[in-house]
Amino acid sequence: MKLTLRVIAAAFSFVLLSGASLPVQAQKVIKVGAPYELSGKFVAYGAQGQRGMEMAVDAYGPAVAGHKIEVLLKDVQSTNQGTVSAMTELLQKDNADFVIGPIASGFVSAAVPAWRQKKALWIVPGSSSPTFEEAITGEELVFHTYPWAYHYHEGTAKAIAAAIGKGKKVAIIYSDGSYGRSQIQAARDYYGEAGFQVVATELVRENTNDMSPALQKIRLTKPDVLVGILQTTDAIVLAKQIHIAKLGIPYLVGTAYPQLQEWADAVGEAADGWIAANSYLPNLNAPADPKYPKLFPASKDWEAAFKKRYNRAPEFLDVTVYTSAVMLFLAIERAGSPDKQKVAKELRNLGVQTMLGDGNFVKTRGGALNQAFGEMLVYQRQGKQFTVVYPTARANGTLRPMK
Amino acid sequence: MGLFPQFLVDAVLLGGLYCLMAVGLSLAYGVTRIINFAHGEFIMLGAYGAYLLAAHAHIDPLLALPLVAVAVALIAFLIFKVCLERVLDAPHTNQILLLFAVGLVLQNVVALIMTGDDRSVSTPYALTATEIAGLSLPHGRAIAFLVSLILAAALVLWLRRTELGRATQAVAQSRDAATLMGINVIRMYALSFMISAALGAASGCVVSFLLTVSPFMGFHMLVKGFAIVVLGGLGSIAGTFVASFVLAFAETGVAYFVNEGGGWAEGVALAVLLVVLIIRPSGILGRATEGN
Amino acid sequence: MAFTTPMRILPFAAAIAFSAACIALPFAATPVVNDWIISVAKLVVLAVSWNIAANAGLISLGHSAFWGVGSYAAVLAANKLGMPILPAVIAAALAGAVLGAALAVITGRLRGIFFAIATLALSEGLRVIAVMLVGVTGGGEGLYLAQSLRPDVRIVCVVMVCCAVGAVAISWVLTRTPYQYACRAMRANESAAQMLGVNPVRLRVIVLALAGALASLAGGVNIWYTGFLDPNIAFDLHITILAQIAPILGGIHTVAGPVVGSFATVFLSEASRIWLGTKGFSLLVYGVALIVCILFMPHGMWGAYRKFHARDKQRAVAGRAA
Repeated sequence: MKLTLRVIAAAFSFVLLSGASLPVQAQKVIKVGAPYELSGKFVAYGAQGQRGMEMAVDAYGPAVAGHKIEVLLKDVQSTNQGTVSAMTELLQKDNADFVIGPIASGFVSAAVPAWRQKKALWIVPGSSSPTFEEAITGEELVFHTYPWAYHYHEGTAKAIAAAIGKGKKVAIIYSDGSYGRSQIQAARDYYGEAGFQVVATELVRENTNDMSPALQKIRLTKPDVLVGILQTTDAIVLAKQIHIAKLGIPYLVGTAYPQLQEWADAVGEAADGWIAANSYLPNLNAPADPKYPKLFPASKDWEAAFKKRYNRAPEFLDVTVYTSAVMLFLAIERAGSPDKQKVAKELRNLGVQTMLGDGNFVKTRGGALNQAFGEMLVYQRQGKQFTVVYPTARANGTLRPMK
Repeated sequence: MGLFPQFLVDAVLLGGLYCLMAVGLSLAYGVTRIINFAHGEFIMLGAYGAYLLAAHAHIDPLLALPLVAVAVALIAFLIFKVCLERVLDAPHTNQILLLFAVGLVLQNVVALIMTGDDRSVSTPYALTATEIAGLSLPHGRAIAFLVSLILAAALVLWLRRTELGRATQAVAQSRDAATLMGINVIRMYALSFMISAALGAASGCVVSFLLTVSPFMGFHMLVKGFAIVVLGGLGSIAGTFVASFVLAFAETGVAYFVNEGGGWAEGVALAVLLVVLIIRPSGILGRATEGN
Repeated sequence: MAFTTPMRILPFAAAIAFSAACIALPFAATPVVNDWIISVAKLVVLAVSWNIAANAGLISLGHSAFWGVGSYAAVLAANKLGMPILPAVIAAALAGAVLGAALAVITGRLRGIFFAIATLALSEGLRVIAVMLVGVTGGGEGLYLAQSLRPDVRIVCVVMVCCAVGAVAISWVLTRTPYQYACRAMRANESAAQMLGVNPVRLRVIVLALAGALASLAGGVNIWYTGFLDPNIAFDLHITILAQIAPILGGIHTVAGPVVGSFATVFLSEASRIWLGTKGFSLLVYGVALIVCILFMPHGMWGAYRKFHARDKQRAVAGRAA
């Protein structure tokens, strides 16, 4: 029994001591929280987050506004509890004033309540979920550097309508998880607005083994356009089964996945002809920012540097996190101190040219106060190229129907 | 009805795939009475094996299948020796948790080595189909169906006609009686576990060109496998075979003919399972007695 | 009888003192420690719940079903009926009790592995339903607990600790009643138990209602802490696994086992996340540690401790759980 009491006493003291805050450090440090999905199902996103942060710190240098930059990388383990624990630790124990992450929609949504306990300046380089947008409506300290669902669909709907005219038929297939559910309404609305007739909306389970029933039902409605709102895992199965079923639909539209190399590798020749929208495309030669060419280089140069360091081509999230982080550092520099309100003000007025386009934060119709990079380029995979087809001012090719 | 013939085709082909996924689980449980919570990971390992050979050595997954199956069987043997042998007489929960932990380790090791990127193999036949009378018969799934029939038949033949197979059946029926007959029960357990893993890996090879390969693909295949094995009757290979098709038909039927059926399909499978458990727990063809 | 000698009072008093300290701690501790306290406390409730069912021979592979139902009940009670935390979590516990009783009635005399798989099917089935009933649950997108109703985090912490203390107290009381013999009989052989006059179905209903209520309570309080719920979070397989890991690591069929196991599990998981998290090894280490624990401590930590204790004092450990 004495042993039990001793064990209990030891556990108790351990708990108390480990929770005690460390004494405030004498040197001046700016802490940037980086909660990412470094393990578990969404590790592919988290890895990009980490790479983006590393490139950013290298590009900017070790200090900003007289403070040393300290990036606190935390693993959210691709779970809700992991996200809550990581955010709580960053905000309450580490006292980070700035947070960039997480990325996947579900975890960003889960992080909101933890963020509300102690609001840091929060840059979110992910999540297109309307639930999240609703939750952060009117929040001054939240900066969203990723497209919302309506950005995707508005862009592609307009582009295709411009190419084939109004009154055509569109079918939508979506997954029942948070990704699909959060975008289906936007897709319906914007395709309707662009003059299309929505003839079918088919639901499939996430990780389903067979999409053939949904596709066969869609085939009966003879649509001109098929929109697939799915995460990459399901999008691979979708692309293959569409190709196999020879549905004869001339235009196939995706969301984020048609740009991903991993998707293209997985589906082989079925990737050709898919259409999507994004604010960043590889090999697009976005120019450098004239005032800060080292921080916001021409995309060709940055891509080469990335390839040299990581031996792989950069993807959309690598670029997004890098750009977000560098913009934050610049804003802190301009504000002269880590005061959140001042930095937020500077961030809003940064006005830099980045690889993702104009670095201006605007208010969206959905209520988010600070949204950047909502201008989408609509592209089509033609052979090995991403051909930009819309807006016409930036197009370097025309939309082709599938053979 | 216009969609009915295609529904039949799709349901049958899906049934074949399910059979392949579940038959290994059925064998392992039937013999060792241990639910292999890591079975999904054997499927995953098989899929990665096929992917790696296809991507780096340009070997077709079907040709790679025997090699991959043997490799995964060896991994299973290792797992058996290191972990399972110690818990053969432990409470079921310990066994379940142990295998779950093994699965967790396998998932994360693969994720660390291969990264979390999704993958798939694109063989020529994976992207083509034959059109007959307005019906689409995908080649990839048809081949998967054939593979599953062949392997299931081979398994049954092995169990009935070979010495080792009959010994395995003896162990499945009664461990003590088998011991009295001079059969090395532990060795039979190991062998069944290895064969079960090999079958799982074979289904993985097939899945590699049909679906997406990721380190975390195993879990929902495991749940599906459970549903099939219990539905068919624990310990009965024939039951698993039948149940695979019953489930495939139920799911595909709901997906085709019910509004938002794609979302409800999996739920229907579980509802069917619950109903069967309540009415006839031994399953469709089961004769396994309560082993607890 | 058990309370006459002073020596026997000591562990009892220590337990009460420890509980009181735990309840007071959230007000003094930092938010990070509160996060840990909540993790441990909710796991204690879950573990005790699972253990209660296991004591009667009912191995549940779908404890996340109760957790999820409790979470949704609490959120909906708050969002749609405006209930504050205490009524909402009571509603959650009631929902769990109803589900548990229903499960007992539906599964009738299903035993062992069949019962276990029925629970797994229940859990997965409820998740599908939660995803499809978008109007009620928000579907795959999830929903937030109304921000205006959320109390201070420390209050939620205290509620969770009280639940944990209550759960342990309940399980301790159960070992002091004749009920524990009926359960042990059921565990060993349900048919034989019936011949001894135990009514298996009635006992199952009681056991599962109680276990369900506790697990749903844990889920209900937890959602007041995290604030966001979707079907994957609610019916997460991880919950089911944790509900088993803690009692097994700690020592199944004992009162102290689930508690010890909960501390150990949270420690293991947090340690691997904090010290190894950035390299992505955390889940891997967690899995390996689990394997090692199960292989080398089959009776859990409490069981190992008691063996050591008994050997040390050369006294046979009494049949009663510690």
